[in-house]
Amino acid sequence: MTRDKEEKRRSVLFINDHADILLEILKRLDGRSLCTAACVCRLWRALATADSVWEHLCLRRIVSPPPSSPGSSVRPVVSALGGYRRLYMLCVRHLLTRLDRDPGGRWRTSSAWDELQLSLSLFCVDYYERLGGRFGDTAATSSLMFLCKPVNV
Amino acid sequence: MGPSSTSHAGTGKLIPPFPPQTQLDGLLAGAGYKVRSSDLHLVAQRLESLESAMVSSPSHVVSHLASDTVHYNPADLVSWVDSLLSELTHSHHHPSNPSSSSSSSSTSPPSRPLPVDLDDLFSVPSDAINWVQSEMPLSQQPPPPPPPPQQLTVVTTMEEDSGIRLVHALMTCAELVQRGDLHLAGALVDEMTALLTSINTECGIGKVAGYFIDALSRRIVGAGSVPAPPHETEILYHHFYETSPYLKFAHFTANQAILEAFEGYDCVHVIDFSLMHGLQWPALIQALALRPGGPPLLRLTGIGPPSPDGRDTLREIGLGLAEVARSVNVRFAFRGVAASRLEDVKPWMLQVNPNEALAVNSIMQLHKLLGPDPTPIESVLSWIRGLNPKIVTLVEQEVNHNQTGFLDRFTEALYYYSTVFDSLEAACQIQPDKALAEMYLQMEICNIVCYEGAARVERHEPLAKWRDRFNRAGFRPLHLGSNAFKQASMLLMLFSTEGYSVEENEGCLRLGWHSRPLIAASAWQASPGPLPLPLPMGADDYWNDD
Repeated sequence: MTRDKEEKRRSVLFINDHADILLEILKRLDGRSLCTAACVCRLWRALATADSVWEHLCLRRIVSPPPSSPGSSVRPVVSALGGYRRLYMLCVRHLLTRLDRDPGGRWRTSSAWDELQLSLSLFCVDYYERLGGRFGDTAATSSLMFLCKPVNV
Repeated sequence: MGPSSTSHAGTGKLIPPFPPQTQLDGLLAGAGYKVRSSDLHLVAQRLESLESAMVSSPSHVVSHLASDTVHYNPADLVSWVDSLLSELTHSHHHPSNPSSSSSSSSTSPPSRPLPVDLDDLFSVPSDAINWVQSEMPLSQQPPPPPPPPQQLTVVTTMEEDSGIRLVHALMTCAELVQRGDLHLAGALVDEMTALLTSINTECGIGKVAGYFIDALSRRIVGAGSVPAPPHETEILYHHFYETSPYLKFAHFTANQAILEAFEGYDCVHVIDFSLMHGLQWPALIQALALRPGGPPLLRLTGIGPPSPDGRDTLREIGLGLAEVARSVNVRFAFRGVAASRLEDVKPWMLQVNPNEALAVNSIMQLHKLLGPDPTPIESVLSWIRGLNPKIVTLVEQEVNHNQTGFLDRFTEALYYYSTVFDSLEAACQIQPDKALAEMYLQMEICNIVCYEGAARVERHEPLAKWRDRFNRAGFRPLHLGSNAFKQASMLLMLFSTEGYSVEENEGCLRLGWHSRPLIAASAWQASPGPLPLPLPMGADDYWNDD
């Protein structure tokens, strides 16, 4: 009896023992699922909040980045400004939502790279504003506020 | 009857009736109909019954009326309408009547299939008001407010009525101010204020009208408005930046043009004519950091008003920008130039190095130089040209607020700011940010309406005029590329309202609300060849050699 149980235990895959496979799976999720995954347990949280996963998410739609600006040169800039996870949550997410709402629209002429560039610009302005209450009482507000508003009915 | 009997809510003022009661109504007389003022209400009643009869009549009768029309006696409007009515009610179909549309030919077209609103019927363009008033004896003739719809069914809501009346009253008041008739203008302002109570001042025409009424009353009283301290202006500007796309569009488009102009250069210098909080520059720094071949050395010279309380705000902004540049590994140097007016800036203060690529950036600043003679704009443009910049980015409001006639300026401003307020309403519902953004616009409105001469700095001019000026000053246009257009379109899409549009026109981009362009962005480069002749103002003292 115990030998059967032991055999069963050996054949069952316990995902937490295979962090690399888990990482590969997480890399393919969307933002919302990633956030959910981060609530599962400490290991999942550590993996799901790592910036490399979010970098993958942000750059996923870019089939081939222009050779002049490969992803590797973007990484230090994004890290300095707050990281890919923050970039996704503040900018990329909203951009993608709006795009999905209008799939055939005229802005479809832009590439995913252009979209990322726009997100980066907005992200940089946000970073600048956060740098240090230089705007007195307006430090609480943000130039990215317009992204978070609900759509007009 | 005459349009003078009062029905204005809340005012105790009686406007004296037109003395001659048998006076022909001037407005309809202008269109060829002789109708006594005292008969106007009868005409309106009959027209209303005519229209309701037409609506309920079988269609073959009505179509006859519309197509076979002969107007036999235009002088006798009342009996003509009577005859029309009797035709319809008897269902005869021999028409001997004019088409119904000619009855309101002097008025706005009745596109609604409902009984005619009296205010529309007697809506008056400003020159018709002139005409009517010149007929009356000059002393104490009040402006003719629209006749009260007492005897008629008012189909439009009370608000739409009041809104239309308010716009008419505003125009009349502005016209009175232009003619110098301040006493009557003041009386009209009181009436308009009373009228405001009956409409919604939270949005739409009520809100804009409120600001314009306020500005007019300041002008009449002669109080002007207290200019806001620069610190406050910057806060309002910041809120305006956050709640609407105009400034973001300006910044991003200018940045894209500057980025493209700086390709291949290792030392670049940007001169910003109004630094404010420096919100434009982080994005450029980041874009330069990511450009192929690595970032250049970036120098930024920011011009701004001197800070009153001894803090060096320019330097603080510079430090913040330097921090951003340090984070993304861009070599950066900042210099602040404190000047309360742009014309006080001299080129030597900017310390331009002949080996670097220079960009001059002006977001809604150059129009302040269009003041009364001698206008500083020519000399400023010539010293800019003398610096030999690679690119000059210009963003200005696309409207003409620099006309000499007050009424024209007022009218343009009313329509322009109505559109801007509409767009702001749609783009942002978050208070108090929206209120602060509106205060920023209110400052502009006050400046346009209340001031004259050197104090009036908001002298917006449309792109066509700027093109002429720049061409004369030795610049030629630099087309904003498709990248700028794509970026602007994407940016607009992020604002969760339909209604904004970007259009490209001869290499310039214009952002508009529902196809009314509101703000225009363009770029210029120094045209090759000899520099334009020096102006006789000592401007040649300020030129750098190439």
